[in-house]
Amino acid sequence: MSQVLFRVDERLIHGQVVVGWGRRLHPHRIVVVSDSLSREPVEQDIYRTGLPASIEAVFWNLDEAIKGLPAVLDSDETIIVLTEDLETMLRLAGGGIPITDVNIGGLYAGEGRTRLLPYVWLSSDDEQRVRELEALGVRVVAQDLPTAAPVRVRERVE
Amino acid sequence: MTGRCGVVVAHGRLGEGLLSALTRVAGAQDNLWAVSNDDLDTESLMAEIESLIAERGAGREAILFSDLDGGSCCQACRRLLPSESVRAVFYGVNLPLLIEFVFLQDLPFGEFCDALLKKSRGALGVHS
Repeated sequence: MSQVLFRVDERLIHGQVVVGWGRRLHPHRIVVVSDSLSREPVEQDIYRTGLPASIEAVFWNLDEAIKGLPAVLDSDETIIVLTEDLETMLRLAGGGIPITDVNIGGLYAGEGRTRLLPYVWLSSDDEQRVRELEALGVRVVAQDLPTAAPVRVRERVE
Repeated sequence: MTGRCGVVVAHGRLGEGLLSALTRVAGAQDNLWAVSNDDLDTESLMAEIESLIAERGAGREAILFSDLDGGSCCQACRRLLPSESVRAVFYGVNLPLLIEFVFLQDLPFGEFCDALLKKSRGALGVHS
């Protein structure tokens, strides 16, 4: 059984993920689920730049992720699954990926978004997605770094 | 509590800036602090570093991180090397070096120094 961190973070692979979580979890692999990035090899190379040689990064579109993740989750690998938005994470959960916890690491200010934490700003659609994830049995917790206090998002959006 | 603590001794706001950046990627650290040489002569800077280690170091071995080799910060740090509490002075401090301090601080001393230098040097490069 793999150890998995499912994380929603607009910055995808960056310092907090590679250093903060990576040095704690020692993942074998990072799976980025993004329809757009799965078609952008140059962008993928930029994201891979900061990774140590011990971590492989793959960029899958949503369909590839729904098909490919079950085998990865069945393995002994430690992995980090990243999406840049809650919608993609909700689609993974809705697509049958067994997610028990979602970590929100960075969703930033934008039109129509309300600040919950310095690094978590949600639109009303995002709040609905949090409720839908929770209804599917997924705990949605904001925590930018392992050393930070986790915040259950559901309690902030009801 | 670990066996080591660290002080970044640098010009201007570099030290506090590096620690601010470190906190963003590796979380807050309770054994790493910054001192600036702003408006301090060498003796006063040395006294400030020493009193910080005495007050917050809790008897741990101190590792100093200075910016420019040969600069006034580094000179002050080197003059503290004979003191019992200071074990080493790194120079050319950068964020990768401090990240390695956070994660490798419990290695035996020789291994610790080699690993920090290797990682921080390896993190310097250019994309063009």
